[in-house]
Formats: sequence, C-alpha cells, structure tokens
Amino acid sequence: MAFAIEKRAVTKWLEKLLEAGEVVAPVRTPCGDVLFSTVRSAEQVVWDFPNPLHPPKEFVLPQTDPIVKIRRNGQHHEVEAVHDGTRRFLFNARSCDARGIAFLTRMHEMEPADASYLRRSGNLTVINLACVTPCPLGFCICTDSGPFLSDSYDAQLTDLGKSYLVEVGSAKGEAAVAEAPSLFRKATEDEVSRRKNLEVAARNHFGEETCHFASAMRRISTGRVPDALWEKMGDWCLECGGCNLVCPTCYCFSVKDLDRDGTWIRCRLRDSCQYAAFTLEASGHNPRAQRKDRMKRRFFHKVSAQYYTRDGAVGCVGCGRCIKVCLGTTDMPAVVAAIRKGKWHE
Amino acid sequence: MNDVFLPDIAWLADVCDETPDTRTFRLRFRDSKKGEDFHFLPGQFLELSVFGYGEAPFCIASSPTRPEALETTVRRTGQLTNALHKLGEGDEVGVRGPFGNGFNVEAAYGKDLLFVAGGIGLPPLRSLIWNVLDERSRFGKVTILYGARTPTDLVYKQELNEWRKRSDMETHVTVDAAQPGWSGTVGVVPLLFKKVIVHPESTLAYVCGPPIMIRIAIQDLLALGFREEAIISTLERMMQCGIGKCNHCAIGHRYVCRDGPVFNYGQIRELVE
Amino acid sequence: MVTVPTACPFCSCGCGFYLLAREGQLVGVAPSETHPVSEGRLCARGWSAHEAALWGDRLRHPLLQRNGKQESVSWDEALDHVTARLKELMNAGKPVGVLGSSRATNEENYLAGRLARAGLQTNNVDFSYYPICRPLLEGIAEVCGKHAPSIRLHDIASSQVILLTEGNLAETHPRAASSVLKAVEKGAHLITVGYRKTQMARLASLHLQATPGNEGEVINGILAAVLDLGLQDRTSVPIGYDALRRDLETVNRTEEVRQAAEWIARAERAAFLIAPSCGQGDQSRKDAAAFAKLAAITGHLDKPGSGLLPLLARSNVRGACDMGVVPDRLPGYDPLDDARSRERVQDLWGKKLPPAPGLSAESLLQSVSGLIVVADDPPSVVPMGQRAMAAMERIEFLVVLDAFLTPTARIAHALLPIASLAETEGTVTNMEGRVQRLRVATNPPGEARTGWQVLAELCGRFTASYRSASDVLREIGQAAPGYAGVEQRLTEDGWGGALLKDFDRAKLVVQPTRTTGLAALTSVERPYLLARDAAFDWGHDPLVSFSPTLRRDYQSERKLFPNGFVEIGKADADALKLSGGRQAKLTSVHGEAMVPVLVRTDLKPGLLVVPYTFRDRVSNVLGSNGVTAVKVERP
Repeated sequence: MAFAIEKRAVTKWLEKLLEAGEVVAPVRTPCGDVLFSTVRSAEQVVWDFPNPLHPPKEFVLPQTDPIVKIRRNGQHHEVEAVHDGTRRFLFNARSCDARGIAFLTRMHEMEPADASYLRRSGNLTVINLACVTPCPLGFCICTDSGPFLSDSYDAQLTDLGKSYLVEVGSAKGEAAVAEAPSLFRKATEDEVSRRKNLEVAARNHFGEETCHFASAMRRISTGRVPDALWEKMGDWCLECGGCNLVCPTCYCFSVKDLDRDGTWIRCRLRDSCQYAAFTLEASGHNPRAQRKDRMKRRFFHKVSAQYYTRDGAVGCVGCGRCIKVCLGTTDMPAVVAAIRKGKWHE
Repeated sequence: MNDVFLPDIAWLADVCDETPDTRTFRLRFRDSKKGEDFHFLPGQFLELSVFGYGEAPFCIASSPTRPEALETTVRRTGQLTNALHKLGEGDEVGVRGPFGNGFNVEAAYGKDLLFVAGGIGLPPLRSLIWNVLDERSRFGKVTILYGARTPTDLVYKQELNEWRKRSDMETHVTVDAAQPGWSGTVGVVPLLFKKVIVHPESTLAYVCGPPIMIRIAIQDLLALGFREEAIISTLERMMQCGIGKCNHCAIGHRYVCRDGPVFNYGQIRELVE
Repeated sequence: MVTVPTACPFCSCGCGFYLLAREGQLVGVAPSETHPVSEGRLCARGWSAHEAALWGDRLRHPLLQRNGKQESVSWDEALDHVTARLKELMNAGKPVGVLGSSRATNEENYLAGRLARAGLQTNNVDFSYYPICRPLLEGIAEVCGKHAPSIRLHDIASSQVILLTEGNLAETHPRAASSVLKAVEKGAHLITVGYRKTQMARLASLHLQATPGNEGEVINGILAAVLDLGLQDRTSVPIGYDALRRDLETVNRTEEVRQAAEWIARAERAAFLIAPSCGQGDQSRKDAAAFAKLAAITGHLDKPGSGLLPLLARSNVRGACDMGVVPDRLPGYDPLDDARSRERVQDLWGKKLPPAPGLSAESLLQSVSGLIVVADDPPSVVPMGQRAMAAMERIEFLVVLDAFLTPTARIAHALLPIASLAETEGTVTNMEGRVQRLRVATNPPGEARTGWQVLAELCGRFTASYRSASDVLREIGQAAPGYAGVEQRLTEDGWGGALLKDFDRAKLVVQPTRTTGLAALTSVERPYLLARDAAFDWGHDPLVSFSPTLRRDYQSERKLFPNGFVEIGKADADALKLSGGRQAKLTSVHGEAMVPVLVRTDLKPGLLVVPYTFRDRVSNVLGSNGVTAVKVERP
C-alpha cells in the first residue's frame, strides 16, 4: 500500500511523531557532522546528507547498555531487568541501516531470544529514506541492502521532488502514518512508477559489482585463504575496533557491573573481536593472540558460508562505513578483493 | 521472550575447601520452585554472579541425580573468584543457566567408561561420574585416572578414597610430585594408562584437565586405538553471556557455550579457529 | 541523547569526537568526520574514552587526613586548611613544590604554575612526564629556538619520505601510524630507526638498527651522508658547512644510511617523527638536536607538507610545556633566565619571580616539605617508579587534585576532587601545536569541581582570582605569546582548534656539537645492554586502568607476570640457556637484580629490554640511566 505526502507537510507529520514518542533522526552538529540523535523539533531533521558515520544501531544496542539492576538489601539482593520500552521512530535511516537493524533483530531473536534488545527493536519504527543518489563508498548492491528496499522497513520514503512516496511495510509503519492520517493520500500510479524508475536509475549508478563476496566467501569458508595473506594484511590494521563499532551488523559485547552507590547496574559494553583481549582467558591463554587470527575471525563471521547459512544473510550491508573509519587500510572491500586476488598491495 | 540476563538468586548452602585455592560451593535457590524446576545435564555450566564483581562461567560439578546438592568447584584465580571465596554459608550469589550441551549420558549406556582428569579438570567430569554411579547398572566398567601436581592439590579427596574402596569401579590417583605422607603413585596422569586394561572398541574416554595433559592423553588414547568420536572433552574459552550472543567463545561458527563445551575429538579437530 | 564535541584525553595526537550521554550519564563515543585530526577515525583508546569517567573510582568529596584516615570535609574547610598549611611551610622556610600534569588542561597547568611562582614564590614546578621528554624537547629547542614548526598529522599521509624513531608508533600513536600507513600505501619511503622490528619497521623501506639511547649514531650518519653528497639545502640554512662536516668526520656512513640521506634530501615532502629515547641527559638531547638539524639542512623544517613531530605520549604534554610548568622555563616555554620573558610574566603577575631554576620532578619529590600534585600519579610516570611513592610518603604536606582514586591520591593529606576531562571546560595542546577545547558532557560526581576552579580558588588566596576558564585562557594569551588570540580563535561551537604559529625562522641555529657514541658502555665483563623501553605505561594510567575494555591486556600481563619481566632475544636466551619465565641474574656497576625473562624473536643479540611498567624490578641495575651495561647469568 503506497501513500504520498507533500514535502511541506512532513514537518507536521514529524511533530505528530514527536508527540507519540522519541524521534531519532540525522541532525547536523555545529561542527558540521551529521549524527543520528534524538530530535526536539522537526526542523532539526536533515534530508540531504551523507549517511552518518555513527550508525543508528546505537538506539537498539547502545555502546553502554544497562540490562540488569542489582540492589543490595542487607544480606539479600533484588534483581530486576532494565526495561527500555520507549516508543521510538528512526527517521531518515538509509536502506543499509534498515537492513542492519533487521539483521540485528534476527540475531537477537535466535534462541534464546534476548528480551532487552527485542523490547527496543519491537518499539522502534524504522522509516527508511531510499537512496535515490547512492553514496560514493557504499556497495549495498552487493549485499542486497539497497539502494531501495523491498522489505526490512516499517515505512520507506522516496523523494519524488514535491512529495515523498511512502511505502508501508508493516503494522508499525501503518501506525506511524496513522499518527497524522490527514497528511497522507493514496499515491498515484504515476508516483509509483516514478519510484520504480528512480530505483532502476539508482542501481545503474553502481555500474559493475564493486565487492565480490561470492569468491571471497568460497575461499574463506573452505579455509583456502593463506595464513601469510592474513599476516600481511594484519600489518595494515591498527586494531582500533572501529570497523566493529560502526558496522550495522556487529553486536559483540562484554558484560560488566557498574557500581552506583549500593546498586549495581549490569551493563553490556560494545566490544570488538579485533581487540587482543577479546579472547583472552583468565589463565592468560589467548587462542587469538596474533592479529592475523583476529582478522581471519572477523571476515569468517562476516563473509563465510557457514554464517550465511545460519543467519540467512552475509554479515555486511555494504554501507561503506568501515572504509571511512578504518585507521589502517583493511576495510571490507579491500580485504575481500585481496582474498579474491590472493594478494595484498602487490 | 525472556530476560536472559536476569540471574536467579541462590545462597551458599555449604562451602567446602578442596585445596588451599579451590572450594566447592553448594547452591540452593532462594525461590524453591526455581530449585525444583532446575533441570540440567552433566557437563553443563552456570553463569555465577558474585554481586559487585560480575559474572563468570563455572561448570556444574554435581550430578542431576542429586538435585538437592547443586555444586560447583571453583579455583581462586582473579578478582571475581577471590571475592567468591570470601563468601560463606548463607551469602547470596546470582545464577543463570544451565548452559551448554552437556554430556550425552544415553550414548554411554552399556559402554565401558574411562575418565582421565588432571587437577581442576575433575569437577566437570564429576557431574557425569556421579550420574553414572547413581545409575550404575546402566553402564559397563568404570575407570577413573586422576592426578594433580601434589597431594594437596587433589580435589574431592574424600570421594577419591570412597571410589578407591568401591568394587564396582577402578580408581587410580597420581601426583606429579610427592609430599610427606604420600604413598601412592608419582608421575603424570597419562602414565596411569599402564595400570589399566582398556578395550577401545567398547569404551568412551572422557578427558579433562590442563591443555598439555589433554594433548598427551588424547595422543595416548589414539595410540591405544580409540576412535576420535569416542574421546570426549570439554573446551574452555573466554565467555561472557553463556547464550551465544556476545561472540567471545565462537570458534568458526560454533559457540563453545552452545555447541559445547562438550565436544568429541573429531569435532574438536573440525573446529576452525 | 546529548552529543558533545571534545578532544581526546589520551595521547598527543589530539583527535576529536563526540561524547554521547543520556540522562546525565556517559554512554559512548561517536566519531567526527569534520575533525581536522581524526577525520572520522579513532583508535581503541579513543573509542573507549568515555569509560574511565563512567567506571572509574571517582573522587567525590574533599578529604583531609585526620587520625590516620582521610575524612570528608567541606570545600571551604579543605581550601582553608591547604592555604594555611602551605603558608606555614613557606614561613618556616621549608621548600614547597607543584607538579602539573600532561593529562591536565592548559588552564589547570597555567594556574598551577602561577600558584607556584607567584603564590608560593618557588620555581619548584614540573610535571611527571617531563623527565622523559625533556631531552627531546630541549634538543629540538636548541635548533629551532623553541618548538619545531607545526606539522599536521593529516599531511604526513602525503609525505614521500618518513623518518621515524620506532618505539612502536602503532601502539603509542595510532593516529600518526595511520598517516604513515596511508603514505606507505601511496609509495612513500618509510625509514625506521630503532632496536626492535615493530609493525612500522616491518613496513619500512629501510629499517636502521640502532642501539637504545644511541639513535643519534644513525641520525648523525644520515647527516654526514647528506653533507657527503652535497645535498644540503643552502637556502634553508645558509651556514658554512665546514664546521658541521668536521664534527661528523668520524661518524659511520653505511650504505643504508647513504640511501636514507638521498631519499630524505631529494624528497619534496618529508616528515620526521621522533619518539623520546630511553636515554636521558646530554646524549639524548644532542641526538634530538641532530634530528632537528637533519630536518633543517634538508629544507624540511618549515615547509608545506614537511616537518618534524615530537611523539609526545599524552594529550597535553605540549600544553604543559607551554604553560611553563617546568623548573627552568616560563609560560611560553621561554627560558627562566631570558630577561624579556621574565619581565613579561612579572608584569602580568605583579610579582617578582624567584631567579634560580627549581628542582625537577624526581628531585622535587625527594626534597620538598609541601607538594601539590595536579591530576597525576607520579610513581607510575616518572622513571624512578615506586621510589617516588616512598619519597612522597615522607612529604609533610601532600595536596592532590584528581578525578580518580590513584595510589598518590590515597596518601594525600588533602584530597581535592576535580572533574575528569569529560566533565570539564578547558583546552589542551596536541603535539602538532593545535589548541583545542574540551567540553562538558556530564557533571562530575559528588562535590567534585572543575580543576581550573579549584586552582583558581587557591590562586585567589595567594595571588589572583579568575571568574571563568575563558578568563584564564585570555591571560594565557598574554603570558605565552604563542597563545595570543587563541581564546578568540576557538569559536564557541564547532571544532575550532588553533594551530600555534610560534616558530621564528630567525631563531634557527644549526651548530656542530661534540657527538659521542655509547659504544663504550659494554665490556667483556658486561657484554649486554639493558635498556628501559621509553614507551609510556598506559596500563597504570587511570584513563586506561579504569576502563573495562582497555585494561584487559594490562591486567592480564600483571597477573601473569607479578614479578615483571625483561625481554631477551632468542639467540641470547639459547646461548645463556634461559627459557621463558626463568629468572635471570643481571649485574651492572650499580647493582644486581633477579628478574624473569621473556624470549622475543624481534630483538637482536646483545640487548635486553625492560618494559617501562616493570622498571622497578631492575631499578638496582639501571641506576639513574635508561641504558646500562650488564652481565647476564642463569642463576
């Protein structure tokens, strides 16, 4: 079911959403960056922007995520789960991030389901802004996560010039539209067909496939990537963990108790498999003491057939963030290309 | 949909010193209904919270045939275990679990069972040993080969004596280095193989202990003719959540907390680091 | 959610990011693409920059030591007591001192310096990290007048040649290593000078093996080769080169060194990255000067795309120097004995300054009766290690200002809780010479106040008072000429960041200096060299030790090696029949020590290295030096 909303009416829609819950959208900071943040007014929301480097997964998996509260009562303790049931609207997400959140949701639905995450994602309405002009570093076309989506969104907006086409993908999307029903009308056939053409044009923008997952996946899955290649690439990594922290599909964490004056808050902390201590055991033994083994691990988790079979998707949405954030030179496309060619920097 | 990180409260019903740095804690759930509903397999583990310090995985050292005696044996190695050792009877801890795949007890029916353990490797096997002894008629020969660095470091000293006295099982204990008063065998655990007669075709071997001991024991078992699937061990990894989500314990696409910690040697060899 | 742009508190690269906070509590970090240094990237430390403030043992209330315990008191009582005690000590003619910090803001350091010189009338002012970087900075100052001209980390990525003294750049300054990697990817020649085959050394076109403390031998070799080849840039440095040439006559010129000289001299854009050496004193100063001379005579000192960067460990080393918390220098890093500078500062502060240089950090700790320590834990930073703790325990009156419960804080007679760098306003100056703002992301816990406020209060009771951090920064602009106008240039919103332009070409001095090598150190009796790794001990810094994510490796190392260790190369270990974990007996002219060894494949024969964090284990052997000849035996 496709609706349309005039551009000048969107502000009113946002105001209605702001009344209904928390609105998270890209905003421009005084320093000139665009960040996903909670907005207080519709005017803060930006519409023409490069996808923020910091992904919106922060709003379903915060970097510091309180999950259990432990209260001391003399010799006794009371525990309770920390509930975040806030209704949230993620506005102007991009296709890659919408897919990313869908992926994370699948991971946390897997047995045993994680209520803490699912409470947040269940109350999050993802409103995707389709990428009419794909971003320069993105390769979402290689991971089937853009530039337009056919699912994984609650509502998808397409810029048609004077109006937005609004495709509703779920009950939550319907509910978002229903917050301001008078602002929406049924989309015309012409509008729907223009949206289809815009998608074709956007896809053509990419030209040939930019990130050849298939052959890399074959080699990674059968252990045919030479150790020496991982070793070489390891020297071009500076172990910052940025790739994992900004990746829309990464969710590794550690658990730690925060002391707050007689109460402890058990928190999940975002972690990275690229850090040496990630697999460090209490005995001091570390099965991935060498960086080459950690790099190998990262790409196995993201690109192997074994994980693809388990997860139903490759662990990458082609957003290109790891290219921007890498302190070294070991981003996804570079490593995938090296695996395919069997060489690095030669 | 569960709050999978929410621990249940249990109190320490008994605390018993095994060695100068190892203690066995008996746990009782504060909510007795939870205690009744707590079913586990030998070889599974718990995530134990020491309030104020955090949470860590510990294997269940008692058998499901004795639910009133839920126990774990913990060596003092770091902040959390030090704090745990400072707790006494009546103190509260948090418990999540049981986690992991556990031993396949039914697969052992009718088989001869060989337990090979070193040091702190005996506790995870103890859950299976007592399960077997409590249903003795279901299993064939039971042999235990156990050793520690010194006599002081042996865990379950009293039970070892009980087992040695039983006629329905064979128990051999050794130490790397003797101490005054020790009249038993001196030597590493794998040397105990010479003391027993095993029939690899009809035996399952369970091996647990320090990495070097496991390696040598497995080599010896293979040399004796054991098939890879008949050699069973438990793997240790850094773990945080215990439920396959934090990814710390992942080896390839296998998770030690879910696909393990019990693996047979054939499976271990397939694990892609 | 609140997103607050601020500068990174860890190393001297000076990256920027947004601190994220919800409901008054820090949650995480978001990168900034517009930041001129970080450009969207951060290192592992930066990504966890929020953790220490959130998870650390925080100081919340002013405490005074009474009856053997630290008791909670009001701010007024604490400040009154501190003032009274310090005045008592001064009136009794007892020496007092102030230690600023390379993890404190410019405002905090400036006020600490003013309090010391104008308030307490003493030049006993220093900061704990200065002993390590002093030879490096003084050596550069010998040639450049003061600091080398600013070179941007961003520009290093376009260098054609990079000369790097390797202490392990990937570990100490990942952002700088990032630029080096990008340059090498584009075809740049990386020349590393060091004693270990580190990550950077593996990627180098040329790795020049150097004895620790004697990197100068290699640098002088390159200098000599440049002159041999006649490749010096006479327009950059129009001196007669004969004296310089004679000075370098006996220096060794190898093929490799000649190659390095050619590359450097012929490059359009060359970067010189120097880490502090493990050596101390004269030799290291001369080596640093040689580096600066090399940059100067090859025309790379003050040229777009080229330059020299001292690799300072912590976020505000440069700032601490510029604020003059140094015993023989004033704000502006001007020498104490420079008449014009003295006049400038005296006029501003309205007080005559004591004329003689003060005690440096380690002497200070051992000599004063009263000491103020701002935001630092000297025993974990100064070379003398735990002996500093023993010395501080003997101090009559110890005042500590900090956000974190450090070992030094535990023994304070007066403990004044201040905000962490996530909770304060102020500026820091990175190794590029870029001044940046810190901004308040959350409130400090309990009754803790911002550091500048507490120091301003104390200043007010001795010399002058201030109403705002901006007031302090404006005055800094008058006290340190390089900082004039900085306050205006740092816009309220936005990254701002002002690159200091305080290099005066007229002050460039390239002179021969007596160069002596360290070859004489080893002997038949003591054929090995034991060197103290100069890399900063992050494991003991509260920003790391209180961060759950960052401290894991360090915690594990301390647990596995409670007696520390010394690193030894495989060939030597085999020859001495020492295996990993075994104790070795080390004997030098100073004394002996028994310490476990760790066998490394990246160390050449003849060299043992003790990580900075384990220096106490060999303090008997090392003496006051960073390098010593030793006999090594298997006991």
